[in-house]
Amino acid sequence: MKKTIVIFVVAGLVLVSFILWILNTSMSWDLREILMILAGLILAGFAVYFGFKRAKSFARKEPAEDELSKMIMTRASSFSYYISIYLWLFIMYISDKTKWETHTLIGTGILGMAVIFLFSWLGVRFFGLKND
Amino acid sequence: MTNRIREFRARFDMTQDDLARKVGVRRETIVFLEKGKYNPSLKLAYDIAKEFKVQIEEVFIFDE
Repeated sequence: MKKTIVIFVVAGLVLVSFILWILNTSMSWDLREILMILAGLILAGFAVYFGFKRAKSFARKEPAEDELSKMIMTRASSFSYYISIYLWLFIMYISDKTKWETHTLIGTGILGMAVIFLFSWLGVRFFGLKND
Repeated sequence: MTNRIREFRARFDMTQDDLARKVGVRRETIVFLEKGKYNPSLKLAYDIAKEFKVQIEEVFIFDE
């Protein structure tokens, strides 16, 4: 249950940070900023979903994690790490072509890694783990 | 690898929830197993077969 509370706290912090960021910066609402906000909201939503899933398991008195959920997490992590290498290569490439500031590039990379992990997790769940 | 979990579950009049609880996994894992989207660890396969009081190879069929 402790881990579930941590997940909700992290999701809450992400949402609050995004709201503060939107309120305190002069946003131009260009495509890049809209995409970043959307990615942040999707990730926070995913964290909330994950938290509810764990809370539901707790209420049903079943383990919050078992061999399948751990394996999905491991497979999604390794796959997203592999894809993230290409993301960072791409960011290195566009850093020379654009005038984006360093912190924007790093922020985009971190957010991109989180989005890649989310899609990897969804993909592994959808296609299953036929480890034979 | 295919399995006959659904068939055995029906024979023992067990829900997915019942089986999950007995072998100590989440219901979702049983769903994945029945859909053939996941191959269990040897321990889980053993626990499931034990729950149905049969040998592992009667529940899990290995394709040559």
